[in-house]
Amino acid sequence: MTPNLAIVHIHNSFWPGFRLWIPLFLLWIPLIILSPLIFLVLLGCCLAARISVWRAIAVFWGLICSLPGTGVSVNAEGNRVFLQIY
Amino acid sequence: MNDSRRQVLQMLADGKITAEEAERLLSALESNAATGGNGARYAGAASAGDAEPAKPRPKYLRVLVESQEGESGKNGPTSVNIRVPMRLLRAGVRLASLIPAQAHEHLDQALNKQGIPLTLSQIKPENLEELVDSLDDLTVDVTGKESSSNANVKVRVFSE
Repeated sequence: MTPNLAIVHIHNSFWPGFRLWIPLFLLWIPLIILSPLIFLVLLGCCLAARISVWRAIAVFWGLICSLPGTGVSVNAEGNRVFLQIY
Repeated sequence: MNDSRRQVLQMLADGKITAEEAERLLSALESNAATGGNGARYAGAASAGDAEPAKPRPKYLRVLVESQEGESGKNGPTSVNIRVPMRLLRAGVRLASLIPAQAHEHLDQALNKQGIPLTLSQIKPENLEELVDSLDDLTVDVTGKESSSNANVKVRVFSE
């Protein structure tokens, strides 16, 4: 399953920071519109590097689909960065 | 008797395979069970007649960095908590298959310069899969001192 939502929290000691809920599923709209262009760029890159386009698509698709569940939280001297992908 | 053995014997009884073929299949099944592939290790252990329950497969690789202030034991200024899905690691190692063949030589030379005698072209996707699979049992505990604050830092890498 592709990632649907990313939550980003950034805080520090001088600034209250912000919380962002990023609806990643909405990215499908520009992605579908731009898909011919993306495919052409990918095709060019793959031809230049002499690798299979379909293999490249499969690998990148696999990477995107395995992103949900990833979480990073870093606290350092009052600064906090939190990222979670659902 | 597990399902695979029974299936082979059934095929022999039905005359679908010869005795030699059945022997070969049974010996292949035995050698597979002896080497303890992941399938047997995680899912098939119960069916193979082992008393030990099947071990659930870890889903995430966790990296925790915790610092504690000197003797007080209070949480220190730094903490890191990273959770990486095992699926992402598997997908990541498949990226290696996209490295162009002409780049392998350059990478090998660069690695050799750094004292790492590795030939990338000899690494197959199966080897990388094995590498990720073996992370299931990985646990690393490192304790040290943070240079800036003199706090005790504990790093833990494990799968869950």
